Amino acid sequence: MSHLLTDEPGSRILLMGNEAIARGALEAGVNVAAGYPGTPSSEIIETLSKVARDRGLYVEWSANEKVAMEVAAAASFAGLRSLCVMKQNGVNVGSDFLLHLGLTGTRGGMVLVPCDDPGALSSINEGESRQFARLLELPLLEPGDFQELKDMIVWAFQLSEEIRNLVFVRSVTRLSHASGNVVLGPLPGETRKARFKHRGFILDEMEGVVASMPMEYRHRRQQEKLKQAVERFESSPFNTYTGPEHPELVVITSSACHLYSREAIHLLGVEDRVGLLKLGTTFPLPPVFMEKHLGLTDRFLVVEEVIPFLEENVKILAQELAPRIGPKTIMGKRDGRLPTVGELNPDLVVEALASLVEVPYESAPEAYVKRGQELMFFGAPNRELTFCPGCPHRASFWSIHNALELDGRDGFVCGDIGCYTLAVLPTGFSTLKTLHAMGSGTGVASGFGKLGRFGMDQPVVSVCGDSTFFHAAMPALINAIHHGSDITMVVLDNSGTAMTGFQPHPGLDVDALGHKAPAISIEDVCRSLGAQVRVCDPFDLETTQATLLELLDRAGVKVLILRQICGLSPEKKRHKKYEVAVNPEVCLGEACGCNRLCTRIFRCPGLIWDKRAGKARVDEVICTGCGVCASICPEGAIEKVENREVTG
Amino acid sequence: MRIFGPNELKADVQDKGLCVGCGACVNLCPYFKNHQGKTVMLFPCTLEKGRCHAYCPKTEVDYTELSQARWKRPYDASPLGTHDGVVMARAGEGRVEGRVQAGGTVSALTAFALREGMIEEAVLTNREGLVPVPQMVGDETGIYGCATSKYTAAPTLSEVNRAAREGIRNVGVVATPCQATALALMRENPLDREDFVDPVSLVIGLFCTWALDTRKLIPFLESRVDVSRIQWMDIPPPPAEVFVLDLGNEEIQIPLDEIRALVPRGCLLCPDMTSEWADVSVGVLEGEPEWNTLIVRTEKGRALVDKAVEAGSIVVKEMPAANLEHLRTAALNKKKRAVARAREENLLNNTDEGERAAFRMDPSVVEELTGS
Ligand SMILES: Cc1cc2nc3c(=O)[nH]c(=O)nc-3n(C[C@H](O)[C@H](O)[C@H](O)COP(=O)(O)OP(=O)(O)OC[C@H]3O[C@@H](n4cnc5c(N)ncnc54)[C@H](O)[C@@H]3O)c2cc1C
Ligand code: SF4
Ligand code: SF4
Ligand code: SF4
Ligand code: SF4
Repeated sequence: MSHLLTDEPGSRILLMGNEAIARGALEAGVNVAAGYPGTPSSEIIETLSKVARDRGLYVEWSANEKVAMEVAAAASFAGLRSLCVMKQNGVNVGSDFLLHLGLTGTRGGMVLVPCDDPGALSSINEGESRQFARLLELPLLEPGDFQELKDMIVWAFQLSEEIRNLVFVRSVTRLSHASGNVVLGPLPGETRKARFKHRGFILDEMEGVVASMPMEYRHRRQQEKLKQAVERFESSPFNTYTGPEHPELVVITSSACHLYSREAIHLLGVEDRVGLLKLGTTFPLPPVFMEKHLGLTDRFLVVEEVIPFLEENVKILAQELAPRIGPKTIMGKRDGRLPTVGELNPDLVVEALASLVEVPYESAPEAYVKRGQELMFFGAPNRELTFCPGCPHRASFWSIHNALELDGRDGFVCGDIGCYTLAVLPTGFSTLKTLHAMGSGTGVASGFGKLGRFGMDQPVVSVCGDSTFFHAAMPALINAIHHGSDITMVVLDNSGTAMTGFQPHPGLDVDALGHKAPAISIEDVCRSLGAQVRVCDPFDLETTQATLLELLDRAGVKVLILRQICGLSPEKKRHKKYEVAVNPEVCLGEACGCNRLCTRIFRCPGLIWDKRAGKARVDEVICTGCGVCASICPEGAIEKVENREVTG
Repeated sequence: MRIFGPNELKADVQDKGLCVGCGACVNLCPYFKNHQGKTVMLFPCTLEKGRCHAYCPKTEVDYTELSQARWKRPYDASPLGTHDGVVMARAGEGRVEGRVQAGGTVSALTAFALREGMIEEAVLTNREGLVPVPQMVGDETGIYGCATSKYTAAPTLSEVNRAAREGIRNVGVVATPCQATALALMRENPLDREDFVDPVSLVIGLFCTWALDTRKLIPFLESRVDVSRIQWMDIPPPPAEVFVLDLGNEEIQIPLDEIRALVPRGCLLCPDMTSEWADVSVGVLEGEPEWNTLIVRTEKGRALVDKAVEAGSIVVKEMPAANLEHLRTAALNKKKRAVARAREENLLNNTDEGERAAFRMDPSVVEELTGS
């Protein structure tokens, strides 16, 4: 049995942040959970899917975040409790639905957990989901530690049912992906029955029509609900003040920054001079509670990630309260004391705080900081970001790159988010030239593909992953076909949402619960839409390249599906297809005729350059035996022998 | 010979639009490839000296040195180059299989050389649609399958490089003048490689005033005719001034003025009209569409022609004086144009640090050709 189902209220167990969120949902008696994979959020749905049978839940990986919200909302309309999970930019995808959901309200408790990624540790943006709470007029909670991750989920479900609207609980990478001790609460015994009531009076929120009309009435109701939430926030146990009665300065903070702030105060040894106001209910701020604490002193430092969201809200409130509490100096990001990009850390907070309390503090030496930044950029010392050994994307981009170069018309590739995003870097032969949101590669390509009349004669290629195809690329593809755009769309089908850990998607014959599910065939979809479709194995470089060259020459929308299972997928990890080795007698190395194509350009991590011998070598430990490098070596020096024994 | 690397090749030839896609830099390594007539560099190579640069006929060709190495005498820009006779020729009666360009001399000589064992394979130029494709053939059917002129610049030499890598020897090549120049450079083993083996044993050169850029010709013709119907094309000698397309049941003529825009810039810098570095050279003959002009240059060429005549594979006749005079004038004019242009573009005999030349000739020769 999963440790997540430990039914010993009061006992303390070690949980990863995302597990704590899942446990919170279980303690709240969640019935339905839906999400779209995305680091740092994925483990929440994964964890819940593992206990789904035991707890009688329905859990799904939806086709995209908007659908996940809709699926979860349906459960709420039927009176169940539902959880919806995604990474930060997933909220953007579904925000249109949320705008309407805010107006219609919810019935059973519904909680949305966006996991933000300050510093973009595993994203290509550090977008803030907190802004959506303000934009959509919905309450926002920000847990500050592991216990709160669990407890605030339980509390959020209660709040949602009190105000009958969606509640945001925002996590961040540093909480979701770290672990800590959590004291468990009880797991509820009975489960709810689902029934959608729709025959009541049109304005009846529990039994009428679920619609955002009449708009004015619904909008007013939504704002009343928000006020109701604020009243509850006034006495929330998640807003706390620690520190002296008459502090010189108060640090106002939320989320993981609360931990950095506490450490900074401790490091400077100013516990008796500086107070710490940790807020868990950050939108809307509870005015009575805030008035009391803004009255403690005249100077405040707001510590948060990433943009000055809390800072601005505090300033608005301070301005409104000024007649009673007097003018306040509120510092933070807007005055440049703290950075408005990237993650914070205790050191940054110490630095900002030290100057304010005039405590000398030796911060990290400059060289150290610089090195740190380099590490942040490159991921690890002396190691660049690269596709894994045996990664099909390396082979795919090799062929795409070569086909575009051979074609010679200065063609380019529009991409989006996935492992293949790395193709902007040399590991993907710098093939990607535009990079935006999920599915955007094909949308942007659809636009480029119409510019022929303005003299653009460059071939336009888009790439998307198999999961992305279903997520958001299909409408773009439809658009391109309908408008007669000239594009070649390459679907990099590695049969799973590899980047986030092989969650199933609609193209696979299994669902989040491990049940058999009908697989949607990408080629059938594309064909029926009217695209010219080809399927190749990207490991067959020659055929792939020839096919691409042929497609690039044709007008209209062409789809090339490059299908090969991810090198890290569980089925592949077990079996090395080929034993691969370099024959040193044949290897040309640096001589004219090769100049180290394999280790200088192709650069699979499984290939190493033996400087002393002046020859290439295969590192058997790293090599996954895909055999692709054997077909790139101009001399045939890389020899592959098929492995007979098959496991599985 | 000044030899540089792939970066200079790309910068000086390809990026300046001087590449004629001859294929001499292709198939030596994984970096240079030709697709649909265009040579591209797939990835950067960092070597400071490479065969790609050494073999290219469009950069740093030192005619003085090349002439010394090949003919043991200085380059004097004589119109037809070093030779041992010019005659009119055509294939022997009943020797031609299918269609040839003019007299069929080239195909007949190639077939004869193969039969006599002078060569074991022939690297020729076929076409797929309008795209010229090199082809290695080992029998007469193959030779006649490649007959007739493809007026597009062809990567023929990529096949020679491939043959060399695969250990194939005794290859005969039918080459345009730039290709014959590249072959001459190649056969000098300019990088002094120990593993060098000359795979070529016979070069039959073609005359050429200019070729056309495949990538430009295709859309040009596609907008005028159904290109799948093109069976044969010809540029008859002056004063015709037309490009002729035989579509089977009709013939189309396009004025050369419309075609000239499709000539790669590299052709305008080419001082060689008659494949001066070949063993024998073949062109058309003014006023005699069923005949060729044949220039014999080397001992090997002489032996081939004499034996072929003896065996009836080709028929030769004395060249009329007027034709010879016209040929000389045309060949000399090509040299003059090329030298003038090279000088104009600052690509002749450059010596300054960091400056490179397309080709080098003795200053006295330049003076003679430019009259200054
Ligand atoms: C681009 C080009 C321009 C030419 N310009 C002139 C000119 O200005 N004046 C002149 O007198 N003659 C010119 N010729 C030569 C002429 O067209 C004939 O090729 C020549 O007279 C031989 O005729 P044939 O009947 O013996 O040829 P065939 O027996 O038909 O044999 C033709 C041979 O040419 C080879 N070939 C065809 N196309 C190419 C190519 N693109 N590159 C390399 N080899 C090729 C084939 O492999 C074949 O072996 C030119 C040829 C080419 C290819
Ligand atoms: S590509 Fe082949 S020849 Fe070149 S270094 Fe690698 S193994 Fe050696
Ligand atoms: S076979 Fe070659 S390309 Fe594949 S993982 Fe091994 S070293 Fe890398
Ligand atoms: S130097 Fe040699 S290996 Fe490099 S591009 Fe030129 S021919 Fe290729
Ligand atoms: S002219 Fe020939 S050798 Fe020179 S770059 Fe072009 S294809 Fe290569």
